[in-house]
Amino acid sequence: MTDYSVEATGLSKDFGGFKAVDGVSLQVPSGSIYGVLGPNGAGKTTSLRMTLGIIDPDAGQSRLLGGHAPRAVRHRIGYLPEERGLYPGMKAREAIAFMGALRGLDWREGRRRAAAFMGELGLERVVDEKIRKMSKGMAQMIQLIGSIVHAPDLIVLDEPFSGLDPVNQERLEMLVRRERDRGATILFSTHVMAHAERLCDRIAIIARSQRRFEGSVDDARALLPMQVRYTPRGDADAPAIAALLPAGAERRGDAWYFPVDDTAIEPLLTRITASGFGVAGLSIARPGLHDAFVHIVRQVDAAFDADATSDAVEEAAA
Amino acid sequence: MNHFVRNMLVIARRDFLSIVATPTFLLFLLAPLFMIGLGAIGGLGASQLADSARGAGRIVALADAADIEALRSADQRLRAALAGRGAPPTLLIRVAAPGDDPRAVMREKGSDTYAVMHGPLAAPAIVEQEAGSRSGRYLALLADAVMRDRAAGTVTPVEARFESVATGGTSVAAQQSMGFGAVFTIFLLTLLLAGQAVGMLAEEKGNKVIEILAAAVPLESVFLGKLLGLLGVAILFIAFWSAMAVGGGFIAATQMDPAAVAAANAASPAAAALGAAPATGWAFFIAICFAYFVMEFLLLGAVFLGVGAQAGTVREIQMLSLPITIFQVGMFSLSAAAASAPGTTLATVAQIFPFSSPLAMAARAATDGDHAVHLLALGWQALWVGLVILLSVRLFRSGVLSGGGGWKFWRGTARAQGDSPALR
Repeated sequence: MTDYSVEATGLSKDFGGFKAVDGVSLQVPSGSIYGVLGPNGAGKTTSLRMTLGIIDPDAGQSRLLGGHAPRAVRHRIGYLPEERGLYPGMKAREAIAFMGALRGLDWREGRRRAAAFMGELGLERVVDEKIRKMSKGMAQMIQLIGSIVHAPDLIVLDEPFSGLDPVNQERLEMLVRRERDRGATILFSTHVMAHAERLCDRIAIIARSQRRFEGSVDDARALLPMQVRYTPRGDADAPAIAALLPAGAERRGDAWYFPVDDTAIEPLLTRITASGFGVAGLSIARPGLHDAFVHIVRQVDAAFDADATSDAVEEAAA
Repeated sequence: MNHFVRNMLVIARRDFLSIVATPTFLLFLLAPLFMIGLGAIGGLGASQLADSARGAGRIVALADAADIEALRSADQRLRAALAGRGAPPTLLIRVAAPGDDPRAVMREKGSDTYAVMHGPLAAPAIVEQEAGSRSGRYLALLADAVMRDRAAGTVTPVEARFESVATGGTSVAAQQSMGFGAVFTIFLLTLLLAGQAVGMLAEEKGNKVIEILAAAVPLESVFLGKLLGLLGVAILFIAFWSAMAVGGGFIAATQMDPAAVAAANAASPAAAALGAAPATGWAFFIAICFAYFVMEFLLLGAVFLGVGAQAGTVREIQMLSLPITIFQVGMFSLSAAAASAPGTTLATVAQIFPFSSPLAMAARAATDGDHAVHLLALGWQALWVGLVILLSVRLFRSGVLSGGGGWKFWRGTARAQGDSPALR
């Protein structure tokens, strides 16, 4: 039986008539890295806030770390909000120790761990620098350290990569993996697919306030057919080749591009070999998470637009 | 240590240090110096005006040369008996000359002349500025005294023996004055110090730390921690100025002639007041007044913090300062009225109403010797501090943090579509 660190079911939230989140459920296996993906305004942040008990859902409930109410296990959670917030007058080490102290960590131990973390991340020279003097990226790293300094069992990061340069993004990925290896569960939101693809064991895609997909990154990619790029040998007769390839094959220069189902790959290769057109180049690749994400979101948008149009027609008819 | 208390202390520590460890705090700490300086300048000006008014006033007797000594002697005697606030204006005695016009004397420049006496002492005529004035009556009394002296002939001066008798205990009026003093002092301190609570959550809302706090600790401990941090600043402020006052007094005492100090103490109304005692005794009275200051600070601070937490902008916070001050003055007025009428229904109402209770109970400690009732009052006030905090947190969570309801008590706006304003 899978052990879940986050079990949120049917979370809904309405802001003044606007349904920000509509029945979202999340089940995050313990010790995993779980990504919540979605376009801007999809409801990711509100879902995370309800999951953590920062705001109360209108419907649904959240249970964390073995079935506890979120507010009962606050001290075992680390949270990096989307809106970065630090006291500008505080020194970096103090800011981290303060965030640790909020979660029950001793101040002195907090200061010690702060210096150690900052050293690992190449920030030792700003240990006693005030936050207001730091760059946005640096302050963000300080806040990130502050959210994990107390060695939490569950780490929730809302858009942790935004605003970071590639070097710091790399450091953050390293930190996330290390925390997972320590045994923590990591739940983070992003709309940058590359990070999710590299880090996540499982993902959920939220669009238009609802969860539209849940599974592994490979499951998401499998939603789309393989993409084939085929270049025949010599000057082949284009209509003859087009007849050989699946419908919708598109020619760009010498190469032909077309999607193909997993089961149709081998018959296709047989057909190409038998046709005598030869193979100057051939690549068969699974589409990335980016394509799968765009595919899912576009489907949702299309359905939404269709509903809106049909509603408008009905209204006009009435 | 309990999680809640520990979280509260973490917040209080942060807030206390963030206020105290800034140059602005020095300005805040020394602000009373400006107040004292301005007060001293104003007081000096007023005192000079009063002195000049007193010095310029006079009464005049136009008398025969033979009566002058007798008049002077009678004036000295009468003036000694009327010393203090009832003392008549300076008497100017002039030898009457033929053709003297008392009205012209009244109009002489350089001083206000309240009354002029002329004619024979047996039947003097008195011209006065205001009909029935004390100055005119005094001149008549003076003439009468001279005439009686003459009629009585030489009389051995009476040697009276004076003996002062303590009535046993402080007068009710003195205790009521102490009660009023306590009410005023607590009111002034809370007016100066508790009002800051209204803007205390603005920092967290502005720099977005509120979401971190809301995720990490119960909001109740955030609110209480912030209040405690501010209370710490207030106590530091009071301790600093108390130390300054005690130290200044000590230095002054060591620099002055002990005999002069003793004489000054004997004549000073302050020393006389210190000789009086509140009904509960000085030690208890001071301790309980401090406890009531803490309670009043927490009660009003909790209300202000809760109200300020609902404010979305600095302008809204500034707009709130007027109703807040009016509310404080209202509580002061109610308690001051209660202090002047102990044992009445009004006093009881003021002692029960939670926001005036600390002030009114401090006044009661001056006039009523019962100690146990103060424990009950402190418990009652602490209960209200808790209730106000709970209500403030509830409103903050549902109205501001969650963006739900859209309820603000000074405006009934529905929230715009989107996310919670405090968390944007």
